[in-house]
Amino acid sequence: MTLLDALQQFVTECNQNARLREMNRDWTRRIQLDPDDTHHHHWLVSDAGELSAGEGLVKNPDMLIQAPEDILTQIFSGQMTPTEPYNAGDLLVRGQQDDMMRLDILTLLIWGE
Amino acid sequence: MTKHIVSVSLGSRHRDQSGELTLFGETVRVSRQGTDGDLAAAEAMIRELDGTVDAIGLGGIDRYLVVRDRRYEIQDAVRLAKAASKTPVVDGSGLKDTLERTIIAQLDQDGLIHSGQSVLMVSAMDRFGMAETFEKLGYRLVAGDLIFASHINYPIRTADELEEMARKLLPEVTRMPFSQLYPVGIEQTEPSDPRYGRYFEEADIIAGDFHYIRRYMPDSLAGKTVVTNTTTAADVEHLRQKGVHWLVTTTPVLEGRSYGTNVIEAALTAASGLGADSPRWASLVTAAHLDGTRLKLND
Repeated sequence: MTLLDALQQFVTECNQNARLREMNRDWTRRIQLDPDDTHHHHWLVSDAGELSAGEGLVKNPDMLIQAPEDILTQIFSGQMTPTEPYNAGDLLVRGQQDDMMRLDILTLLIWGE
Repeated sequence: MTKHIVSVSLGSRHRDQSGELTLFGETVRVSRQGTDGDLAAAEAMIRELDGTVDAIGLGGIDRYLVVRDRRYEIQDAVRLAKAASKTPVVDGSGLKDTLERTIIAQLDQDGLIHSGQSVLMVSAMDRFGMAETFEKLGYRLVAGDLIFASHINYPIRTADELEEMARKLLPEVTRMPFSQLYPVGIEQTEPSDPRYGRYFEEADIIAGDFHYIRRYMPDSLAGKTVVTNTTTAADVEHLRQKGVHWLVTTTPVLEGRSYGTNVIEAALTAASGLGADSPRWASLVTAAHLDGTRLKLND
C-alpha cells in the first residue's frame, strides 16, 4: 500500500461515516505530509468535514506532519497508532495540539480496538 | 492516633488546603499539595512522602478510568503511583464508581432532580458510574468528553456510545502525556471560554469535573443544578454569582472546601486499612456515611 492509498482509504472512511462527518462539520484545515525520507509530499484537506487527499504541496498549510513514508502509511491505514512513533521521536507534527488530537481520535475511531 | 494523608495534585498550588475528617472514629488529617502541573515534582513529592504518611492521593489526575467491565490505566499516573513502595497510593476512582452512583440515586429519590431532565456531564469517561446512573434513572444524557477535552464538537448521548468510544480511544489515549488530555497547573486558572455555552444552556443539570465546568461555563447558569466536587469557598461564591440554583458536592465539605475523591479515598484507606480492590470496599463506603453536601445558592 502506498501513502496515497492509505490517505484515500482514510478519506473514504471519514466521509462515509455519519458520526465522523458530524464531528468534523466545523473543521476546515489544510495538512501537509512531508515524508522525511522520500520527500514525496502529500496533502490532506478537510473542508467543513468533507475530506480529500492527494499528492504534492498544499498552499498555506495549517499543519505539517513529518515522518518516514512507511510510518505515515501505517498510521493513516490504521496499522500503527501515532503515539508510538510520536513518543519515539519518529513523528514530528507542527500545528495546533487540538488538530493533532483530532487526527489521533479519527484514526482510533476508524480502526481502534 | 491521628492518621495523616496527603493528596499530591497536578493542580495549582493556589488551591492547597488542609483539614480534618473523622471516619469510623478515627481522625484523619488531610492535606492537599499542588505541583502546578509538574509531573516530575509530583513524583519527587510522592517519593519523599512514601512511608511517612498513611495514604497518598493522586490529585488532578486519574489512574484508573472504569467503564463498565473494563478498567483503563493512565500511564503518567502509573509512573506517579510507582514512586511509592510503602504507602498506598489511591486516585479516587474507587469512590467515583460507588459513592457517586449512590449520590445521584439519592438526589433523584429526594426530588432534588427529576427524571426526564437533561444532564450535561462535562466529562464522563472518568465518571462512568455517574453517567450510567443518570441514564438508568431516565435522565437525558449529554457527555462532553470530546467537546471539552479535545474541542471536537460532538455530544455523546448514551452510556453505550460512551463505552464504545472508551473501548476505541482509551487504550491509546491513556498512553499520551496527561497534560494533553486535561488542564493541569496554571491551565486550571485560565479565563472562561464560553464557546460551548449552548450545551450548558440546554442542560438542567451540569455534572462532573469542576475544572471543565469552571473553564467552559457561560455567563449565566441561572436555575441550574451543579453536581461536582473540589470546589473552594471562592468557587462556591462564583457559582452563586452565575445564578446556580443548587450546588451538590459528591464529597464532604471541610472548612469550606469539597476535596477530590482521591482525598476521601485516601482517608478511607488510612482509617480502614482497606483499598478499593477489597471485596468489602462497597460496604465500607456505605458504612462511612460520606454524604456530600447540598447548597441552595439561589432561589
